[in-house]
Amino acid sequence: MSTFKLKARGAYPGIAQGRAVVCPDSIAGNSGALGDTDGIIYEKGNVNYGVCIKDAILVVPCAKGSNGFSAHFKGAQIAGVRPAGWVSTRMDARLGVAVASMGIPAVADFAADENPVEKIKTGDWVVIDGTTGEVTITPKE
Amino acid sequence: MVHLTDYEKQMLDGQMGKFKQKAMQFIVRYAEVLGAEELCEVSRATLFIGAQHYLDCYPEDTDYKKIFSEFYLCSNEIVEFGKASSYCKTQTCAACCDLKEYERTHLSREFHERNRRYLEITKEMGVKIVDSCTPYYVGWVPMMGEHFVTTESSNVVISNTIFGACGNSDGVEAAVCAAITGRIPKWGMHVKENRYATCVFTLDFEVETQMEWDLLGFTLGRLLPKHEVPVIVNGLKNAEINRMRQLCASLSVTSAAEICHIVGLTPEAQTLEMALGGKKPKHEIRVTKKDMEESLAMLCDKGSGRIDFVSIGCPHISLDEIYEIALYVEGKKLPEGVELQIWTDYATKEMATVNGYAKLIEDTGAALLTGSCPIVMREDSHKHATAMVMFGAKQAFGIRHQTRVPVYYGEVFRCIDAAYNGRWEEGR
Repeated sequence: MSTFKLKARGAYPGIAQGRAVVCPDSIAGNSGALGDTDGIIYEKGNVNYGVCIKDAILVVPCAKGSNGFSAHFKGAQIAGVRPAGWVSTRMDARLGVAVASMGIPAVADFAADENPVEKIKTGDWVVIDGTTGEVTITPKE
Repeated sequence: MVHLTDYEKQMLDGQMGKFKQKAMQFIVRYAEVLGAEELCEVSRATLFIGAQHYLDCYPEDTDYKKIFSEFYLCSNEIVEFGKASSYCKTQTCAACCDLKEYERTHLSREFHERNRRYLEITKEMGVKIVDSCTPYYVGWVPMMGEHFVTTESSNVVISNTIFGACGNSDGVEAAVCAAITGRIPKWGMHVKENRYATCVFTLDFEVETQMEWDLLGFTLGRLLPKHEVPVIVNGLKNAEINRMRQLCASLSVTSAAEICHIVGLTPEAQTLEMALGGKKPKHEIRVTKKDMEESLAMLCDKGSGRIDFVSIGCPHISLDEIYEIALYVEGKKLPEGVELQIWTDYATKEMATVNGYAKLIEDTGAALLTGSCPIVMREDSHKHATAMVMFGAKQAFGIRHQTRVPVYYGEVFRCIDAAYNGRWEEGR
């Protein structure tokens, strides 16, 4: 499958790229679900349990769980294990704070037939332009 | 582009000092991320601050001014502490430890003192030390239409649903900056048209006990399609604030819901038509007993066995419940090596002490604790446990991210029985 593009709203400007980590049920914001200092997903039942978010493009439908969501990602950023950028089906308040606080590129609010959680697979190489809202996906071989 | 009032522009320009300027810069940046067009005035806030574990990324001797500037104000420049907005009534949310009982909860004196030191600094800003995730029990009650921020997800759902107040699940940095500026993006739940229900839940059964309400919230959150607003049309018996607390808390574990209308019970859902805003629902979901059983299986491990760590009070419980527990446990003794923690807030504990309930509980060997919970205190507080019993669902589910030992969950008094028996019995 060749490279393809998705387009949505640029939520935080800048260009970022990395391997996609797709979390169809998001990542819980509850204490302990994301390692504050190692950036590893410890949420029981998460399809990416044990995966480190460092340098990844996180692809989620939205945020979920505790309002501490942003704080755990911010902690990971300060510890040096932040993701490269965000792609979210829809923007919501929990995720919005994380994006604004971390100041890393983000694209959100996709059309119904361009749901990134369905179009992008874990391991795909993803380039996001948080200014134009363009997402370029090169599927994993 | 966010439209700002002259007052807000002055704050952003630095005319009210660098502290407020940095906070306003963050609020504007947050508004741009959301796509909000304007801000609204916030008059109530609860803040999940202190020496919380999300700050473990900093060396222990880091200056709190640097932490506050970098983490909460999102500023690379270290700024002097200032004051929170005089128009916004602000207090602390759940704490990382009991304000006094650090030894009993297996935490170090150094950690406890660092938390206290941070809270004393924010107290000078105007952030009252309350340490509660159920602030409505001690007077933090937003009125219908009042705009609030809170870092407690269950309090978002309670305040939107029961009080008809307006707030989103913003997160810690936004809540702190909102408390300082008195402003938050006018977006999401702050806008009436976003509050109408889009997903109708019909129950095939009735829920009556506190655990059933708790389990229902967890189940609805699992079934709720992403980005939708739920309304429940039937099946809820014995409605009261403590049951609603459980439903709202567990709903926000498994979903991103910020409001949960209940027809005939909550103010914006006196009828189904009112809840839906005259529109047709996007989803209609029938909830079955099987759905509830699947939730229970996610919360309670199989089998029977010895247990040594029991926690009640997630979210923090009311004086009424402490009274009931005190009468239930009076005269009992906890087995050697078994811990029973019961969590509430300081004001409620003081009332429990005055009324003699605290003594009845403490005399059995149990601990009436305040302000925190095992999940927020993290692994140091419970890593010695070999099997745990937790109420409610938020604790029973969340603790699994932090432990590999068996975790059991059930009705409150069944959990309490397990503590005094030192055993969890399956199916009872």
